[in-house]
Amino acid sequence: MKRLIIRKLIVDERNELFDAQGMRYAAFPSDFARIREFTTLVLADCPETFKEGNLLEQQLSEIIKNGIKHGNRNDTAKRLRVWYDLRKRVRFIVEDEGSGFAELERWNEFFKKRQTALFKEDFDAFLGLASYRGPGSDDEDGGNSLIAALEYWNGGMIFNGAKNKVGVVRWFSRGSE
Amino acid sequence: MEWDVSARDQDDFENVVLKGECDLYSAPGFAKAMLSRIAGGATRLRLDLSELHYLDSSGVGAIIRILQEAKRRGCELRFSGVGGSPRKALKMSNILALMREDSRP
Repeated sequence: MKRLIIRKLIVDERNELFDAQGMRYAAFPSDFARIREFTTLVLADCPETFKEGNLLEQQLSEIIKNGIKHGNRNDTAKRLRVWYDLRKRVRFIVEDEGSGFAELERWNEFFKKRQTALFKEDFDAFLGLASYRGPGSDDEDGGNSLIAALEYWNGGMIFNGAKNKVGVVRWFSRGSE
Repeated sequence: MEWDVSARDQDDFENVVLKGECDLYSAPGFAKAMLSRIAGGATRLRLDLSELHYLDSSGVGAIIRILQEAKRRGCELRFSGVGGSPRKALKMSNILALMREDSRP
């Protein structure tokens, strides 16, 4: 029997994913045009087996984009700070200088409706809910980066209390899944 | 990213071949071009992703917008060559469930 399991974005200020001890660090200006360049820099010496083609690059790029575009509003005077650890698994902490992801609970409600429509195979409803649209969305937003992120970051995706910092981890069962 | 549009095939489909990387920089332009094509009266469209090597959430969002517009305007939309990391990106967003795939280029 099929069961509906709906993941959620979680806020947990004291989560161990925010322990940056031993992690490497980089800071970047909030330059939208350089998001993929920043991602490449962070992953410069990442083991190939963790990259899964370009899937890791894509998922890290989404987090960096969210921080630069939605967090720092592309204000190049604001920094995006990235802590990273590419040993045994990939783990990142990304912090912007914005006011935080105020729509987090609204997003969780959206995601619940979306996944329920998918579970019920109500594809008309699902198509209408396929992308998230919030007050800060524009036509260039895909509206689905967090959906894929909840699937990809299999060791957790946690926001801090201010919701301007996210910690993520992906484990690999045999080097790469 | 570049894309090529071929003349209609024997099934009356216009084939659009996506090439390279559909990312946060190129996806909005691609979406705009396809939405314009559908609004302009395209009735059968096939997107061939066999030469696409990178698809991020903006690219997935572009495909969602194209799916929505095709449904709204009664355009039959099909996909082919969906593999590699683009397929994984679409699967993680559950969008494969909405895509009618066939094996023809």
